[in-house]
Amino acid sequence: MSVALNKRPFDLGKAAYLGLNLLLLAFLLVPIAIILVFALNPTPYISFPPVGVTLHWFDKFFETGDFMRSLWLSLWIAACVLVLSVVIGGACALALARGHLPGQAFLTAFFMSPLMLPAILTGLALFQSYLLAGIGRPVWGLIMAHTLIAVPYVLRTTLAVLHNFDRRIEEAASVLGASPVRVFFEVTLPLIQPGVFAGGVFAFIVSFDQFPVSLFLVVPKGETLPVVLFNYMKFDLDGAIAAASMVSILLALTVVLTLEKLIGLKAYVKL
Amino acid sequence: MSIGADAHDPSDPAGHLPSVAGEEMIQARRIALAADRLDISGVDRTGALRHDGERMSAVASRRPSPIAWLIAPALLLFVLFFVLPFAVMVAMSFFSSNPIGNPHAVVTTRHYLRFIEDSAGIFHDALWETLRIGIITTIVSLLIGYPLAHWMARMQSRLGHALTLMAVITPLLTGIVVRTFAWMTILQDKGVINTTLISWGLIHKPLPLMYNEFGTVVALVHIYVPFMVLTLIGVIGRIDERLEQAARSLGAGRLRAFVEVTLPLSLPGVLAGSLLVFALSISAYVTPSLMGGTAVLTLPMLIAQQVNTSFNPGFAGALGVVLLSVSLVIVVAYNRILARLAGEQGLA
Repeated sequence: MSVALNKRPFDLGKAAYLGLNLLLLAFLLVPIAIILVFALNPTPYISFPPVGVTLHWFDKFFETGDFMRSLWLSLWIAACVLVLSVVIGGACALALARGHLPGQAFLTAFFMSPLMLPAILTGLALFQSYLLAGIGRPVWGLIMAHTLIAVPYVLRTTLAVLHNFDRRIEEAASVLGASPVRVFFEVTLPLIQPGVFAGGVFAFIVSFDQFPVSLFLVVPKGETLPVVLFNYMKFDLDGAIAAASMVSILLALTVVLTLEKLIGLKAYVKL
Repeated sequence: MSIGADAHDPSDPAGHLPSVAGEEMIQARRIALAADRLDISGVDRTGALRHDGERMSAVASRRPSPIAWLIAPALLLFVLFFVLPFAVMVAMSFFSSNPIGNPHAVVTTRHYLRFIEDSAGIFHDALWETLRIGIITTIVSLLIGYPLAHWMARMQSRLGHALTLMAVITPLLTGIVVRTFAWMTILQDKGVINTTLISWGLIHKPLPLMYNEFGTVVALVHIYVPFMVLTLIGVIGRIDERLEQAARSLGAGRLRAFVEVTLPLSLPGVLAGSLLVFALSISAYVTPSLMGGTAVLTLPMLIAQQVNTSFNPGFAGALGVVLLSVSLVIVVAYNRILARLAGEQGLA
């Protein structure tokens, strides 16, 4: 209403404010968009401006054994992590929200802590433990490491849903004579499903793009895609990396749209 | 040192040779002192215990339900793959070599001494560089993230809000390696910025935008600014817009209303977001090693070097403990601020 009163003097300020924010959004998005330019640009090394359009780099990416092996390994690990973290994280969220556990706040902070502690240290600590245990660097070790990092995401989305929904629905069911087990399976579980799914989607991408935890836990010829890309980039910077990056970007876009559909992105505002 | 100080305490009759009972007393006093110190720093240890006690009595009436058992798999995962490994890392930092593989391994503090003495003159520099990059990244992320978060929090259109939120979260979900690659294509000598500036005739030689601290910070800011934005949107969105409108109807300009009303109210969020970004950027490895070239050496890079090149897991562990200590301080502060924010929300 005060805007209506003093409309003219604020126009410039408002325009500057809007312009600044659009600029900041561009800062976030342009680097991602620019990767597509390089994925399609036919020059042998990264160079600008682009001189044409080719799918050569995508061919190279999909025909290089190292890239493909690591892509499949990353997808396989991410799928395992999705299942494990959904089961473990979903169960944990239920226990935290409905189990009347003592020290609930502490436990929640504890289960969220892998997000805050340096991931490279989690990798280092696991590397040293596997070394000490003499088990080498098995793929299941990497899967467990990724699951550890992914559980907090599932926990967060599931807890968000659990806190939001009306407990009286459960109470109504039990007043009407449903056993606690039945209430759980027929009321609670269907209601938290979107939150658990959203967490699973998050877990998948967190594992697929994971670098710092994987760094010390992969074996030569058994590296995940981000590690292969990182090693490649240290020596070569060509369109194949850009093509490989498109996989990650498309996945991120898919995930964002899925999350928006499942529980709405607003749930992520309170990190 | 602290034992000596306590033993000289006039109230301790045992003097220089404390008896077992004396030691117990000293121990108890030290705990009390620690609790006091924690109190001063704001951590109410005794209060927390009392609180737990109350909760215990509350739980007695509402016993843990069978659902509580669902926590078991997560607990097992976290003990085996999180708590134990970190304990192993700390333990390894005190061994001369792998205590299982090598029977001659001894307990030593030499890894820490090596870091403290720093005869090669690189470790302290690396620590300082890590912290400096963290601080600069945090400040720049705040300067970029705040306006964006303010704009998004106050956006009326639901569609606009959803779209901008997608624009912030999509980069967040894109891999770190991919985002660093994007900045390499932009900042390198033949990258987007340099070739454009040269073709416009503004410069003749490429600007040194990469393989230095500048490039590292730019890429790190891009990677971590979404965390700042997401933290701030929540906090700013919670501030009642009518407060600012009231200030303005009382004659304050738009800027003054913001500086004197909204900004102070959002400070806890600013602090929480800054701590988060700082904690993330001091542990970054990919970006400094690709964007920094040989000019930048941070603690995480040093750790990777010890593992991959020098194969010195003991020293890597010691460096890890140094980084972990810094992070833990930040994590505790961050959680306290978040708890306070949640408390305010509960009261409102």
